[in-house]
Amino acid sequence: MSSIKVNQISKRFGNQQAVDRVSFEVEPGEIFGLLGPNGAGKTTSIRIILDIFKPDSGEVEILGGKMTDEKKNQIGYLPEERGLYQDITLEVCLNYLARLKGLKPAEAAARVEQMMKRFDLYDHRKKKVKELSKGMQQKAQLIITLVHDPQLVIIDEPFSALDPVNTQMVKDLLREERDKGKTIVMCTHQMHQVEELCDRLVLINHGKVMLYGKLSDIRRQYSGQEVIVHPLNELPAQIPGVSRIDRDNSGYILHLADQTTPQAILKNLVEQGIPLERFEVALPTLDEIFIQVVTSRGEVS
Amino acid sequence: MNKFWIVFSHEYLRHVKRKRFILGLISIPLFMAVIMGVSILAAALSEDNRPVGFIDQSGLFKDAQPQPAKRSGLFVTQVKIVPFANETEARNALDDGEIQAFYIIQPDYYATGNVKMIAQDSVDSNIHRDFSEYLLAHLLKNENPTIRTRILEGPELVLRTFDSDQQFNSRNPFGFLIAIFSGVIFMLAVNTSGGYLLQAVVEEKENRTMEVILTSLSTDQFMAGKIFGNLSVGLTQLLFWLLMAGVAALFALRAFPDLRDVGIGFSFFSLMALTFLPAFVMIAALMTMVGSTATESREAQQIAGLFSLPIAIPFWFIAAIMENPNGPLAIGFSFFPFTAPMTLPLRSMLTNLPAWQVGLSIGILILAAAASIWLASRAFRLGMLRYGKKLTLAEILRPR
Repeated sequence: MSSIKVNQISKRFGNQQAVDRVSFEVEPGEIFGLLGPNGAGKTTSIRIILDIFKPDSGEVEILGGKMTDEKKNQIGYLPEERGLYQDITLEVCLNYLARLKGLKPAEAAARVEQMMKRFDLYDHRKKKVKELSKGMQQKAQLIITLVHDPQLVIIDEPFSALDPVNTQMVKDLLREERDKGKTIVMCTHQMHQVEELCDRLVLINHGKVMLYGKLSDIRRQYSGQEVIVHPLNELPAQIPGVSRIDRDNSGYILHLADQTTPQAILKNLVEQGIPLERFEVALPTLDEIFIQVVTSRGEVS
Repeated sequence: MNKFWIVFSHEYLRHVKRKRFILGLISIPLFMAVIMGVSILAAALSEDNRPVGFIDQSGLFKDAQPQPAKRSGLFVTQVKIVPFANETEARNALDDGEIQAFYIIQPDYYATGNVKMIAQDSVDSNIHRDFSEYLLAHLLKNENPTIRTRILEGPELVLRTFDSDQQFNSRNPFGFLIAIFSGVIFMLAVNTSGGYLLQAVVEEKENRTMEVILTSLSTDQFMAGKIFGNLSVGLTQLLFWLLMAGVAALFALRAFPDLRDVGIGFSFFSLMALTFLPAFVMIAALMTMVGSTATESREAQQIAGLFSLPIAIPFWFIAAIMENPNGPLAIGFSFFPFTAPMTLPLRSMLTNLPAWQVGLSIGILILAAAASIWLASRAFRLGMLRYGKKLTLAEILRPR
C-alpha cells in the first residue's frame, strides 16, 4: 500500500491551470522529494493531497483511502506559509495544536516538553510566540509537525530560516523518522538537500510532472555524455568517440560524441593499455538536471 | 475529547483568563454600585427622620393609638407622631429640634377637616400622608376591619387589555427603565463577543495557522468551536452583569419597598431571551464572515462597525418610540433584525404587543441568524486560505 497515491489530479484557479494531470506515488518509509520552481503547483498539489482543496478531476488516496478526521491525527504537515498563534505563550500554543492532533492533555504536555528540550526551546516556553526569533518559530513549527508521532510527514521548505547547526539537526531528525518507518514528503527547491536526503522524487513545472522516479535513476538518465578519467600517465591526444577533452584538476573530462557509451570508451582505453587510477561516469547534479528540465519544458508522460 | 471542545475551551479560556476581561467584567457593576451607593447615601443623609408632633384642639383624638409601622426599608423609616398638650410645648420642641414640625388639629375638624401645620422647613409629602392616615384610622377604629382597610388603602388599579394576559400596573415607571438597562447590557455583551470573534478569525488569517488547523480537524468543527467559544465569553459577561443586576435589584427591593409592584414577569424575560439570543448568534456569525473576508484586523473592525451600530439605532429614536409605541417607526424597527432586539422588549413595556408582531419579529430574527451562519461558513471556507486577498460578497454567494 502506498502512503500517497496521486492519480491524474487537475486544478484550475480562474484562467490559471495550477495542476495539470499530476500522478505519483509515495512509498511507505521513504523520503520523497516534491520539487519544482516557485509557482509550479507544488503547494496546490499538497493542499489537494491533504484535502484542503478539492481537485477538479482525478483522485488522491492517502494512507490507503480517502482523507478522514482520524487520518488527520496520523499526518504531520509543515506548510510553506508558516503560522503560529503569536499572542500566546509558546507552551500554550504547542499544547493546543498538539491536542488538536488528538493527543490527550497529559500526553501532549509530556511530548511538547520533550520536543522543546530537544529543539532547545524549553527555556523560552513562557515567552509569547511573537517574541521568538524566526528560527525559533520555525523549530516550534517543526515540533507541531512531529509532536503526535505521525505516520506521514509532509514538509514544505523545512530548512528555510534555519542556521547550519539547526539544518543539520533537522536532517538528522528526518533520517531518524525515516529509519523508524515514517514516510516523509519534502517539498523544496534546495536541490542539494534533496540529493542528500531523498530516495525518490517528482519534479513539477507549470503544473505538470517533468521528472519522476528514483534519484539515482534520474541522474543516470541525464548522464552518459561525460566521463571523468584519472590516468597514471598522459592520455593520448585522440580517443575514438570523444569529441573534446578538458583538463580537470588532476584528471580529464571526456565529452563523448553522440551514440558513444562510457563503456565503449573504457574498453578502448583498457585495450590501448593506458593505466587508469579512476574512471567515472560524470553524473549531473540535481541542480543541473533541474535547470535543464525547467528551461526545456519537456514533459514526462 | 471532541476537537470542538478543545477549540471551544481554548477560545473561551484565552479571553476569560485575561486581566483585561476580568477588569472589564467587574468594572461596570462596580461603577454602577458606586453611583448607586453615592446617590442612596445622599438621599439618606438628606432625609429628616425626626418625629412630628400634633396638638388636638378638636378633642377627637385624645386616646389615639400609634399606627403600626407598614413601610420598612433600609433607608425608609416611618416618622413617629407624638401628641403635645399645647402649642407652646410643641413650639419649644420644634425650636429645640426635637421634632421637625407639628400639626394643629382645629376645633372644627369634624365639620371642615381643617389642620394647620407649623414647620421650619418643607416637610416630606409622605409625612402628610402618614398623618392623615393616622387621623382616619382613629376615626374609623370602630368600623368593620374590611371596610376600614378599603377606605384607608383606596382602589388598586390594574390596567388590562382585551386580547392578552398583559397587565399594566398604574404605579410602574420602572419596567421601562429595566428594558433600557437590559438593552444596554446586551449591547455591551454583543460588542465584546463580536469584537473577540472578529479578532479570533482575522488572527487566524494574519497568523496563517489555517493550514495546520485544517489538517487537524474539520472546518465545521473548528468554526463552531470558535463561534461558540467567543459567544460564551459575551454570554458570561451578560450573565454576570444580569446576576449583579439581580443582586442589586434584591437590595433595591429591600431598600425601596415601593419597587415591589414593578410589573415585570416571566413573559418579559422570555421575550428578552427570544430576541437577544438569535440576535447574538446573528451578530457573531456576521463578525465571523467579516473576519474571514477581510485581510487585517483594522479593516475588519471598520466593516464590523456597520453591523454593531444599527443595534443602537432604537435608542436614538427612543422619544419617538415612547410617544407612539405602535407607530410605524416602532413597528418597523421591530421587524428589522438589527433593531428588533432593542425595540421589542422596550415596546412590551409601553404597550400591548399583538402576538403576530412578536411571532413575526422573532421569526425574522431566527431566519436572519440562520442565514448569517450559512454566509459565515461559506466565507470562512473560502476566505481563510486567502492570505492578503479580500473576498467579495459575490464570491461568497456564487454557487459552486
